[in-house]
Amino acid sequence: MIDSDLLCDVIGEHLVKQRWFAGSGDDVPSCRVVLLESLVEGWPSLLRVLVEATFSDANSEAVLYQLVIGLRPLGDHVEFLSGHPEAVIANEIETTDGLAMAYDATADPELIVALVNVVAGDRNAERGRLVSTESTHTSMVFDERLIMKLFRQLGAGGRNPDAEITRALTRVGFSNVAAPVAEWSDEVNDYGVVSEFLVGGADGLSLALTSLRDLYDCRCDPEDAGGDFAPDACRLGVVTAQLHLALVDAFPTEPGNGAHWARVMEERFTHVTLAGIDRSLVHAVYDRLSSVSRAGIAIRSHGDYHLAQVMRTDTGWFVLDFEGEPGSSLESRQELSSPLRDAAGMIRSFHYVAQVALRERAESIDERIVSLSTAWERRNRFAFIEGYLGVDGIGALLPPGELDQNVVFTAFELDKAIYEVGYEQAHRPDWVGIPLAAVARIVGNV
Amino acid sequence: MVVLVAKSKRRTKSNDTSQGEEFVRSRSGLHVPTPGGGLSHDPEWYRKAVFYEVLVRGFYDADGDGTGDLRGIIEKLDYLQWLGIDCIWLLPFFQSPLRDGGYDISDFFTVLPEYGDLSDAVELISEAHRRGIRVIADMVMNHTSDAHPWFQESRKDKTNPKADWYVWHDDDHRWNEARIIFVDSESSNWTWDLHRGQYYWHRFFHHQPDLNYDNPEVADAMLEVVRFWLDIGLDGFRLDAVPYLFERDGTNGENLPETHAYLRRVREEVDRLYPDKVLLAEANQWPSDVVDYFGDGDECHMCFHFPLMPRMFMAIRREQRYPITEILAQTPSIPDGCQWGIFLRNHDELTLEMVNDEERDYMYSEYANDPRMKVNVGIRRRLAPLLDNDRRVGELLHAMLFSLPGSPVMYYGDEIGMGDNIYLGDRDGVRTPMQWTPDRNGGFSKSDFARLYLPPLMDPVYGYQAVNVEAELRNPSSMLHWVKRMLEVRHQHPVMGTGSFELLTAENPSALAFVRTLHNEQTDERDVVLCVFNLSRFAQPVEMQLGQYEGQIPIEMLGHVPFPAVGTLPYFVTLAPYGFLWFNLLERQ
Repeated sequence: MIDSDLLCDVIGEHLVKQRWFAGSGDDVPSCRVVLLESLVEGWPSLLRVLVEATFSDANSEAVLYQLVIGLRPLGDHVEFLSGHPEAVIANEIETTDGLAMAYDATADPELIVALVNVVAGDRNAERGRLVSTESTHTSMVFDERLIMKLFRQLGAGGRNPDAEITRALTRVGFSNVAAPVAEWSDEVNDYGVVSEFLVGGADGLSLALTSLRDLYDCRCDPEDAGGDFAPDACRLGVVTAQLHLALVDAFPTEPGNGAHWARVMEERFTHVTLAGIDRSLVHAVYDRLSSVSRAGIAIRSHGDYHLAQVMRTDTGWFVLDFEGEPGSSLESRQELSSPLRDAAGMIRSFHYVAQVALRERAESIDERIVSLSTAWERRNRFAFIEGYLGVDGIGALLPPGELDQNVVFTAFELDKAIYEVGYEQAHRPDWVGIPLAAVARIVGNV
Repeated sequence: MVVLVAKSKRRTKSNDTSQGEEFVRSRSGLHVPTPGGGLSHDPEWYRKAVFYEVLVRGFYDADGDGTGDLRGIIEKLDYLQWLGIDCIWLLPFFQSPLRDGGYDISDFFTVLPEYGDLSDAVELISEAHRRGIRVIADMVMNHTSDAHPWFQESRKDKTNPKADWYVWHDDDHRWNEARIIFVDSESSNWTWDLHRGQYYWHRFFHHQPDLNYDNPEVADAMLEVVRFWLDIGLDGFRLDAVPYLFERDGTNGENLPETHAYLRRVREEVDRLYPDKVLLAEANQWPSDVVDYFGDGDECHMCFHFPLMPRMFMAIRREQRYPITEILAQTPSIPDGCQWGIFLRNHDELTLEMVNDEERDYMYSEYANDPRMKVNVGIRRRLAPLLDNDRRVGELLHAMLFSLPGSPVMYYGDEIGMGDNIYLGDRDGVRTPMQWTPDRNGGFSKSDFARLYLPPLMDPVYGYQAVNVEAELRNPSSMLHWVKRMLEVRHQHPVMGTGSFELLTAENPSALAFVRTLHNEQTDERDVVLCVFNLSRFAQPVEMQLGQYEGQIPIEMLGHVPFPAVGTLPYFVTLAPYGFLWFNLLERQ
């Protein structure tokens, strides 16, 4: 075991290097160990640690992080750490069993197997690999049949939305999510979840890029291209509608409130600058939303729905990651909203991926390619919506008239594009042109 | 029975029976000679075999009358042996008025005179066996030609001895749930017969009356046909149009329990009397229905897997693996000792409409909506023109055909990349003469050009002067040599036929990767083959999760080049456009 004060001294420096750390890298938080639990004794040993990080900025709230820490005696082989300097917590730290090296245990193939067997011991996992580290969780795959998500930021008194929604969807029989096989949680928190791994899956983004690369190379119309994405887009629309119907079964709903949605959008809009766009046109879109009297039903939605959140498998599309928009508060993630918000998110990502594929071949862009990009987007947007609206019962969740449906949809599409502008301005200023062009197109300022 | 004896006598009368006789086995089942020459006893040979479909008419004309014949095939057996195929599948060669390519048989015991006679059939079988090649033939169980003496007798009146050998009825309303298969040419499954004054039932052309299997005499007679040809030495049958043998009120007349019961009876008879035979069912249906024709391993040994073929083309067109992996995911497992027959092209059209409009295959209709897929797969084309003559795609498809689960069935001429002649009309376009040499008639026949059953291809791209066996034999880098090499490698690894199949995780959707594993329980040896394909026309990186093979060395199977050992990280390979790799995974020495 290890002394928690010793851990506190080094953990802050470690946190700021992690992808899932919410603050900026310059602001090393002060840390307090809330829980220190030994999962595996002996060498190598495995600890689970909950750390409350407090920031010098008085406006920031404290955040609770979850770490799993591996300890190995000095001199042990740790090749798995090569290339992952950020995983090292302390090269030398005192433990009750002598000096040891401390590191993020998700980098250690041996310890992640130990970890998954703590959570889902009956599954007898034998071999594990680290798949990805996201802004909220770390994913590990075992024997190509199980996937474990280790949540990194624990909600302040709330459940993890991903675990919560997946659990609820499975309960109501929605089969296009990775079915959870074991959960790691207590009365207060979700710590992690182990699910069936979608063998043979490829994410929607890579599939769409495959389609676009084919299109830009053959330069024929999208409907004639071999790699046409429309059948997949249509099926994705169907699955999305089925998802929404299942969410209605699984969670409470309330009547949609266009005026309220418009206020939330306006609030977001005030923080974003839009170069070259007449802001009054944006307000006009939100005003129209405000005036919709029957806005359909507000449901618990995916919240951050785009092509990278869906996975194509041999048995159709699966929906992943119900954690909501990164950077939003837990309350806003759990807030009910129009199902059209998800639909708009997916449609926005069709535009994005078409543009990303254009950037891949930036040296050979001409008018034809640009028009193909637009045509691809239009075709798949239409196919997605056709699939979505074609599902029995979905109409009951939407505004009754086509006109109002368009108003609501357009507002959510615009809201998403404006969110993207803000995101790109902060992270990838080079890319801001993509959502900006979308904003201009949506508000008719072209 | 009288008929049978007469035909059997004819067999013994023929000039050249010495080799044939050893294959004519005792009916008692007690005397089971080992198969002659190069064949070894192997009850599951068909699970490892590569089949080669031959159009007798189009392969080689030995007697110079403009039409291919059985002796022509005998003369080309050395070529087939060199190529490395294991079993010839002969399209129908029985007596027939040829109104449906020989699928309208008018005498089950006689060879069509243009093709030769019974002694030629015996010699072909024996010469093939001597070279280690087996021979199966098309057999039409469901119907005969209206020229068949059985039907001629049956139609005379309602009281003759064969009156109930066909399905007769006073009106044409019965069983109207049964679909009409040849909708383009037939308006009903019933046709009025003037002689008898009744309607007769036919699921295919009106000149092909369905046999009445409810009549025990018919069921026995057809079993006699089966025994006759197995006695001659055939190694099995491809059973044409099996789902339709029986008719029942209130059903669509397909896949009825009675049909399965009869197939079990055929199988029982075959198992009882003849070792090492195969029954291959043609049931152009969805895999979950087709598996019924395996029974519990007590009906057909093999069935064709129809939907896989168009999906392989779709996968390449879409540059993604899902069309293939989806259909594999929907393919049920099959009983022990059974095998799928898989193919790229054959002599027939493969309609995209073969599946009825049930919702279970929602994606099928979507693919069928792709106008180009419809045109290309729906009409009769040969492989090479279907692929715009792209050799890389041809190799990719063959590499998949030779490694996906199932026994590959090749179509004559595809090994040299032959083309088609779409102006010949629907069926004949892909049935042009095999192109042997750049000489007159493509080396197929010494007859006058005008006498040929169909003109050989003469266009500058696919014509016999450009594409022929002789030229490809001389060119070591030809398609033909490539196919031969692939077949060699496949033969060295029975795992390709009998091994288990496991898809691998590869994030790149343009990659198809799987592992075939064969565990020999006696020696505790494992043969593990890893296959990875790039379905895209662009080079692709592929990362495969090979954790369970950590430490093993992948040996590329065509060049025996060792690749870096499998480590803890995902195994990474780069594939050229339409490239593929076959690896043998070996323990580190």
